[in-house]
Amino acid sequence: MLTRRSAFKAAAGIAATATLGVSQRALAADKILKIGLDQSFTGADAQAAVRIGNGVIMAFDEANADNAVPGYKFVVEKFDDATATAGQYDPAQGAINARKMVSDKQIIAAVGPSMSGVGKAMSPILSAGDLATITPASTNPDITDPKFAAQFRPKGKAVYFRTVTTDAYQGPNMANYMIEVLKVKSIYILDDSGAYGVGMADAFEAQAKKKGANVLGRDRLDPKAADYSAVLTKIKALNPDALYYGGVGQAGIKLAKQSYDIIPKVIKAGGDGMQSADLLQAGGFPAVEGWYATAASPHVTESTDPRVVAWSKAYHDRFKIYPDDYTVTAYDASLAIIAAAKKINSMGKPVTRSAIRDMLEKIEVPTLQGVVSFDSNGDIKDHTVSVFQIRKDDKFPLDDTSHQYKYLGVAPQS
Amino acid sequence: MTLTDVILQQVINGLSLGAMYALLALGFTLVYGILELINFSHFNVFMVGSFIAMYVLQAFGLSGQTTILTGLPLVGVLVAAFAVTMLACGAIGVGIERFLLRPLRAVKGPAAMILTIGVSYVLFNLVILGSGADSKNFPNPLPALQWPIGGAVLRLREVLIWAVSLLLMGGLTYFVGYTKLGKAMRATAQDPEAARMMGVEVDRVIMTAFFLGAALAGAGGLIFGLYYNFTSFIIGFNAGLRAFTAAVLGGIGNVPGAMLGGLMIGLIEAFSGAFIATAWSDVIIFSILVLVLVFRPAGLLGRVAPNKS
Repeated sequence: MLTRRSAFKAAAGIAATATLGVSQRALAADKILKIGLDQSFTGADAQAAVRIGNGVIMAFDEANADNAVPGYKFVVEKFDDATATAGQYDPAQGAINARKMVSDKQIIAAVGPSMSGVGKAMSPILSAGDLATITPASTNPDITDPKFAAQFRPKGKAVYFRTVTTDAYQGPNMANYMIEVLKVKSIYILDDSGAYGVGMADAFEAQAKKKGANVLGRDRLDPKAADYSAVLTKIKALNPDALYYGGVGQAGIKLAKQSYDIIPKVIKAGGDGMQSADLLQAGGFPAVEGWYATAASPHVTESTDPRVVAWSKAYHDRFKIYPDDYTVTAYDASLAIIAAAKKINSMGKPVTRSAIRDMLEKIEVPTLQGVVSFDSNGDIKDHTVSVFQIRKDDKFPLDDTSHQYKYLGVAPQS
Repeated sequence: MTLTDVILQQVINGLSLGAMYALLALGFTLVYGILELINFSHFNVFMVGSFIAMYVLQAFGLSGQTTILTGLPLVGVLVAAFAVTMLACGAIGVGIERFLLRPLRAVKGPAAMILTIGVSYVLFNLVILGSGADSKNFPNPLPALQWPIGGAVLRLREVLIWAVSLLLMGGLTYFVGYTKLGKAMRATAQDPEAARMMGVEVDRVIMTAFFLGAALAGAGGLIFGLYYNFTSFIIGFNAGLRAFTAAVLGGIGNVPGAMLGGLMIGLIEAFSGAFIATAWSDVIIFSILVLVLVFRPAGLLGRVAPNKS
């Protein structure tokens, strides 16, 4: 407990060190390394956020238990980037969170966000604060694209790292899959007006056109609106082979329900935004049955690798839910931060923000999805996109993403 | 689908949407007619209604769209759900009036309106705290019956929405037009002081208006759930804003105006989504509102009333 006397002593100490010119860092000998965890804990994607958050907490708890970085202890601090008025993620809240993280000197790295719209708002602020974040799920390519460096990383160095690949692969690879494997010839495309959804739909549309598919139209859903029957009736009249949706759960859940009623026979597909427990639970069977979705990462959770199996069991034992692939990427993101901290510490240097940032560009980290390394923009070097289809499996809980989504394979690269 | 089919289908979609907006718009209009108060808590009474309805249906053992009922059990469950939801929402409306708004009635200015905004947010956050911020899979026991009309499709749930809305709106029209309490409501709306002098219990009339408005919002909430198989804490704002627009469009304070306004907004939304783009729906709806108000400031069916003294 901080008594008045000790507070006085501490204050005097700070004053003394300041006058003596001793580095502030040397004084901060509490050896806490805080990790900012930014997720959309409120709203339509809350369940996905909890799964991811659990993965992060688990990784750092394990690191603490193993004393992975001797002399330091990790503390995960949660930030919610969703607001009740938005009903889902809110980029403005993400910016506030990024400022909070940057101003908290104990935070040496962050995990998150899962939403590209939030990532776009956070990245410039993180860049100014030299604070690296690793996103386990946000896939919009612009954030790390050197073309937009002035906008998203004004200080130049990469701060937005990813343990998933981007929509520059996710959208086009799924277009390839639908045209080559599902033999789709005509497609209608929708997005949810968000940064992720629009970018995803754009990338998909460009590749679909390049591959010669007939893109019958493109429209935008308002995620707060309840009724999509007008646009779905329009799509019904056009009679496409497939519907592709770029976006996340808030519009996606309603789209799944209403498209099941209005265009039941059309092939429906989305990106990783349509791979969530929220969709399974609130969308519900039979409406979600048959939807295709992708993950911007290799499919790991069904791996027979004993390390993955043991991890999966430990996760389920602790949190009573099954992890999904983005729980894996979140865990992997945490492993990368831990590995960087460990390496810095073993070199005898203080574990600081900028040291972590610099180290992330160099290291190769053995993780659940394999060896992860980042390029100079922060993107993961591996570009695997996995394809799934929702197929009801009564043996497992109906909102269990790892069992209700059947893995179909890797989408063909262009 | 030919163009005629698409138009027919959009009329079906638009009328269903419109019926929902109309039910909600009536709540705004009833309260405004009597108190000249825009009751923003109405937005989220509707939302709470859909949650109450969800819990009632779940209490009958329904979950998702997998349990389908037919015949008497279906009618029984629906009647019970409507009754409980409407009574519960009516009670919330009466509670808001009796305990929060009545003490403020003598206060001039926007205090009461601001209070309703506050109540709206309280309800909103109570639902988030109580049942979580995720979207809900609304239980729906309706069989998937549908009838083709040319290339368009009419589904059982649309028929149900129309039937329930017609019944409720007919009941309300009868109530306001022909019952003693209804006449007292109209008298109070015209001139509260004169009504009081003629022996009308104004407090009771105001409470009735809140009860009816909130009960209709509850019915709207249940209908919303059955129509979309979905509910969420956020649904109040969008539907509420459109219903409010409908009430203004029809002439706020005017009961048939609210119904007409609701149907119009529903149809406009359906057609603009189909023939222009859904992204433009709001722009079109609110532009039409602005135009109507420029040329008919009192709304389509509203009359410019002499100022109440």
